[in-house]
Amino acid sequence: MNTTSATEPNIAMVLIARPARLIWLLLRQALWRMPMLIIISLVVFVILRGIPVDPLNMLVPPNASSADIARLSHQLGLDRPVLVQYGYWLLAALHGDFGISIQTGTAVTAMILEALPTTLQLLGAGFAAGLVMGLGSGLLSFHLRGTRFEPAIMTLNGIMIAIPDYLWAIVLIISLGVGLQWLPFVGPIDAALQVRKLTGFTLLDSLLSGNAAAFASVVSHLALPALALGLCVATPIARMLHASLAEVYHEDYIHAARLRGVAEKPLLLRHALRNAALPTIALIGVQASVIIGGTLLIETIFGLPGIGALMLRALGAFDMQTIQALAVVYAITVQIVNLVISWALQRINPRLRSSP
Amino acid sequence: MFERLNAVEPPDMHIIETPFKASNAHPLAALTATPDRAPVLTLESVSVTARTSGADSVVLRDLSLTLAAGKTLGLVGESGAGKSMLGRILSRQLPEGFKVTSGTVDFAGQDLLQVSTEQHRQWLGTRIAFIPQEPMSALNPLMTIGQQMTEHLLRIGVGALECPERAILALEQVRLPRAAAILQQYPYELSGGMCQRVMIAMAFASLPALVISDEATTALDVSSQAHIISLLRGLQEQHGTAVLFVTHDMGLATHACDDVAVLYAGEIMETGPASRLFSAMRHPYTQALRQAIPEMTGPLIRLKPLAGQMPGVESFPDLGGCRFETRCQYAVELCKQRPPILQSLPDGQSVRCSRWAQIDLSAITPDVLGEHTPGQAMSGLQILQIKGLSRTWPGQRSWFGRKPGVEALKPLDLSVAPGEFIGIVGGSGSGKSTLARLIMGLEQPSSGTLILNDQALNFGEKDWRRRISSIQMIFQDARAALNPKRRVGRLLTQAMESHAHLHSERSARAIELAANVGLARSAIERYPTQLSGGQRQRVNIGRSLCDMPQILIADEIVSGLDVSVQAQIMNLLLDLRKEHKFSLLLISHDLAVVRYLCSRVLVLHQGEVVESGDTEQVLSNPRHPYTQALIASVPPTRSDAVWRAATPSDH
Repeated sequence: MNTTSATEPNIAMVLIARPARLIWLLLRQALWRMPMLIIISLVVFVILRGIPVDPLNMLVPPNASSADIARLSHQLGLDRPVLVQYGYWLLAALHGDFGISIQTGTAVTAMILEALPTTLQLLGAGFAAGLVMGLGSGLLSFHLRGTRFEPAIMTLNGIMIAIPDYLWAIVLIISLGVGLQWLPFVGPIDAALQVRKLTGFTLLDSLLSGNAAAFASVVSHLALPALALGLCVATPIARMLHASLAEVYHEDYIHAARLRGVAEKPLLLRHALRNAALPTIALIGVQASVIIGGTLLIETIFGLPGIGALMLRALGAFDMQTIQALAVVYAITVQIVNLVISWALQRINPRLRSSP
Repeated sequence: MFERLNAVEPPDMHIIETPFKASNAHPLAALTATPDRAPVLTLESVSVTARTSGADSVVLRDLSLTLAAGKTLGLVGESGAGKSMLGRILSRQLPEGFKVTSGTVDFAGQDLLQVSTEQHRQWLGTRIAFIPQEPMSALNPLMTIGQQMTEHLLRIGVGALECPERAILALEQVRLPRAAAILQQYPYELSGGMCQRVMIAMAFASLPALVISDEATTALDVSSQAHIISLLRGLQEQHGTAVLFVTHDMGLATHACDDVAVLYAGEIMETGPASRLFSAMRHPYTQALRQAIPEMTGPLIRLKPLAGQMPGVESFPDLGGCRFETRCQYAVELCKQRPPILQSLPDGQSVRCSRWAQIDLSAITPDVLGEHTPGQAMSGLQILQIKGLSRTWPGQRSWFGRKPGVEALKPLDLSVAPGEFIGIVGGSGSGKSTLARLIMGLEQPSSGTLILNDQALNFGEKDWRRRISSIQMIFQDARAALNPKRRVGRLLTQAMESHAHLHSERSARAIELAANVGLARSAIERYPTQLSGGQRQRVNIGRSLCDMPQILIADEIVSGLDVSVQAQIMNLLLDLRKEHKFSLLLISHDLAVVRYLCSRVLVLHQGEVVESGDTEQVLSNPRHPYTQALIASVPPTRSDAVWRAATPSDH
């Protein structure tokens, strides 16, 4: 703690230095993540080259001569040392060029940009659904503390926490999709409908083009996959929030606020929730990679043309360029989520903002 | 019962005019100004019953009190006496299983126990306000002071537009400098004293009829304590607020309160005007408390700690007679049979003792108890020499290099002789704990050398072994310092774990140590949580003695304890010294404790030794202004002495 600020507060420090420091902290966070991304890409690169599968076998016809193979190998740069290959790849990647897909012969960057909005849309919807359900049930179970509903909710939560996302997907398809036939579960939109492509995000595009029917269709197609992903996000949040709230309620400031006559509802929402949210938000950061990885299976199950589906296809064809690029995209997504999380934590907790 | 004060003649007036009259705790000063003040709070034979595993236990028995507007009623007693229970009744925050079973609580003409929950909540913060014990943790760490002030002001009905102005006004009223900037700050950016001022500002913002201060100054250092008390008195006089002042510090109660009630095991043992209670006490318990408090002036007398400990709530049903009987030196057979009643005496005091008239408390005089000498050097040797020891924290990194460092401790010289007890005093942030950590080797010094037994002490593995075999540290919070999952026997002999020892050897040593620190042999098999606070501190001390160190470093080891336990621990240290001949570096903010234990004292202020020398000399004739201010901050134990701490200027 800074002792000078404890004894000599001044307005200038409070009004100017604080936001400046926050921006600097975020910038530092972002810069600090760059070498991490490079190391991740190197590891993936080396591993992919180490796997005893020759991508050339997939490319050349079975009757190709060894001279043909050598020529192609040289053309693709595969005959150079791995680290040199990596250097070339990194240089191109920094310019946004992830090479040509062996599988389709098109630019990897274009393929990813095509598929990415679908995945981000799913992730966003899943996270939102998860946050609402998690915070809601956590708060509800805490609000009902002391009654028999509390252990009931927590027991249910304990069971649900053990179910992985792809199982949720199957359960939801069978119950809401096939059984009750409430919601569609195949593809991103009704086959009969078309959305003009503006941003790539179907939700946004259908709204922008004023196509209400398409928007409704996109929402209903997104509902089940988002729910499956959201349930996975929600259960640990609910559990963590419930536990942290119970802990925070023993703190002196809650007691002191109650002695000032603060009613139970503002006490919970204004004083306790923010404090209890800190470990919960940190937990979301830890879980981010699991959830983002989860989109891979969810997209495949629901037939969504996102990067998860792309990845599965690339893995099947051993499309090194695509796998390599997608690994980096996944890593960046996880890093961005973590950046947002640490920003949120700093927004809420003043102590994180000031410590050097 | 306190209305009778009207009839009492003032014994002798010591009214000193200070801006806030903090030193003037005389009840009659306020009374003469407004002759009949209406009672704000009247408790009539209130009892609280707790469901325990056995029979129902009456934890608060037959409590009757009256508190008039503009007056301060002190509730004193040891931990477990039920002092905080009253605040919990008023706030309806009784622990699980506790219930008010009889009596009425009249608050300004309405029965507080009968009003609806919603009505009661409305009163909290508006008509009844609380000042908490731990100011730092009583403020929401994620909200600025301004946000919390605004929330409270809105709740008590201040318009949203007026809030900023009112908040600044409220902070200025509690004499916080740069109030506007403080509103933008978070609690962790303020000191404990500043946080407590914020709490007081909030408490008085609605001009409540009643303020309950539960150990509000216990967590603060003495100079902050004096400031807070003077502030509280000032606001109270300004607004005619009634204050219920819960404290374990009898000296403080004498000077901060008009009337005092002494609680023991859930019963009022004695009440009366604060100015007279401790000079003309009648109850053996009050006397015992008084005898356990070390003095700041006068001859050094060996303290007489109260034997045993207060009965726990579970054993209350078994106490048929007087609850103090088991520890009372005047108890007779009659005391066991029926509980005594609280008798009101014509001079305004009340006493719950059937034998008060027969006991002559004045018979116990200092000469009966015997003289006492603090720990003096046993020889001219120097076991530890400290030369130029200092610690500087590197400055914060900023855009343009580093800010200048913070000097936690400026170069300091000190030598320690065998058997010598040295006190290190100073306010928070004075560097006294840094010094302890440097000597113990928990921190690296920025400069300076330590010479232990004529050999320089460095930072190698061998030096560390030499260090810990000669120097041991006793930590402040025994509850936190003892592993709750280990039995006392193993805790006591923890130092033996670094070498191979026979199991029998270790248990033999545990028995020896337990006997040394006055623990029953059965305690060896217990866990720390099963012990009382005093017993835990004994384990803590015993553990440090295991390897027979030459020097003990004790960081505030008696500050959290009740006076009788404090006296026990202090006597224990002096007795152990005779046997083991160790030296002690006692870090304390309590000057009376230092005076009782230490022959030499070092006064630290902002990392610098401002004064040092023979304890008696420094305390009776302080030269440095800081030492003088520090001594003045201590509320004197004598009720007729004037507490001159309340200076209006801020620290």
